Amino acid sequence: MPGVPEAFLEVRRLSKVYRSGRGLHEVDLALPRGAIVALGGPNGSGKSTLLRCLAGLATYRGEVILGGRPLDRSPTSRALVGYLPQVLAFPTEATVGETLDLLARLRGAKPSDLPGGFLPGTSEPIGSLSEGQRHRVGLAAALLGDPPLLLLDEPLASLDEAGRATVRAVLRDRCNRGATAIVTSPSPTELEAVADVLVRMEEGRIVRVQGLRCSHLDALEVGR
Amino acid sequence: MSGAVRAIAGWEFRLGARARWILAMGAAFALLAGGVTLLALGSVRSLGSTGIGPSGAALVNLGVLLPSLMGLLLAAGSLAGERDHGMLTLLLAQPVRPGRVVLGVFLGLAGSLWATLGIGYGLALLLLSPVARGQDVLPIAVLVGSTFAVAAAGVAVGAALAAWSRRRLQAVALATALWIALALGFDLAIAAIAPTVHLGPGGLLVVVLLNPLEAGRILALLGMELEGTALGPFGAYLLARFGTVGAVGLLAADLIAWAVVPLGVATLALSRRDL
Repeated sequence: MPGVPEAFLEVRRLSKVYRSGRGLHEVDLALPRGAIVALGGPNGSGKSTLLRCLAGLATYRGEVILGGRPLDRSPTSRALVGYLPQVLAFPTEATVGETLDLLARLRGAKPSDLPGGFLPGTSEPIGSLSEGQRHRVGLAAALLGDPPLLLLDEPLASLDEAGRATVRAVLRDRCNRGATAIVTSPSPTELEAVADVLVRMEEGRIVRVQGLRCSHLDALEVGR
Repeated sequence: MSGAVRAIAGWEFRLGARARWILAMGAAFALLAGGVTLLALGSVRSLGSTGIGPSGAALVNLGVLLPSLMGLLLAAGSLAGERDHGMLTLLLAQPVRPGRVVLGVFLGLAGSLWATLGIGYGLALLLLSPVARGQDVLPIAVLVGSTFAVAAAGVAVGAALAAWSRRRLQAVALATALWIALALGFDLAIAAIAPTVHLGPGGLLVVVLLNPLEAGRILALLGMELEGTALGPFGAYLLARFGTVGAVGLLAADLIAWAVVPLGVATLALSRRDL
């Protein structure tokens, strides 16, 4: 259809069911390049599981297409994804510089180009940082190498208001440069200022998709 | 070695070198090695003999039992801890094959353990230097090599246990239980079945190969005395069947397999399981 952008990320009938019966059930989602998606929903609704599946860290049934190619657990696919897990505690003996240098080398990337002051000093041991500062290091790790798909599990947690504002600005900048970001938050209103789409999950299903800034998102039928 | 393996190995080595409990284990090994050497040296002097023979033999059990436990606990605790804290998840989310992550972690942890053990042996050798002779070089080299190989096998098995465990505590408990079984349970089980099942020297060899601690111990003892008389009838069988070089090669290959196979198991787990 002329004027309708192609979906950059397509999730087709993705299911991931745990023994308890919880998980994801036939999730469909299509998102354009450059969108910031705020993924909300109650605890246990499947937000983190969806991100883990997309990051290639959990097995699932269904299909995920990124930029026209299947996204799987191969290194080639993982190079396209920047992932921030919800629970992340770097070894306290390591320094900020060592940690980011390791992850940059694995990605074949240069050190982060985040705004000055966002990260603590590179020689600081992780053990001496506050929770918010450690969280910033994790976020910097997810952004290494400018991946086209960002999967950030609660990136605003533990951050002060200045940190949140910086994260929102960094997200907008990355997405203006073509990345698509899916960002979970227990309260997606925190992301309304920057998000293009609000997606709500309940009991492993997408129950609502609301385009905030991009009218073309409706044409993509983001939540079938 | 690929850049990713080197980067992960260097990272793990640096963390290991800074971890207080590894340093504490290293200090304990150095103290024990030094203490055992001093006690054995007393015997050497009272008997008026020369060379490191009795001291080296005294170090064999220490060099097999403690490093294997250190390796198991180090790998099980580190890898499972990294998974519990999300660091392993982050490593596996990078464009690197799980096998390379496992190999990097193994090399880094084994390297830090070898450095720790090297300090302990360095102290022991310093104490032994006044009585050591030229022909003691080979036994010492085989003893140190056996220790390093058993420690590496411990790291690899610990990594496999961690990869298949759900929590760090579970991995560490399994590693401890396995060590007790290999260090004590194996001998007790063989003693229990010996009256009813005639193993024979071939069966005994299989049993030895199934236990990396036994394989390491016998390899070290063979290095101490190439005629194998210290190993009794089993040593005679081993040398008659394979020759000295063949027996050493068989035991060394067994210890290498004890490192390689568990690393494959760990890779399989991290490739297929959810994180």
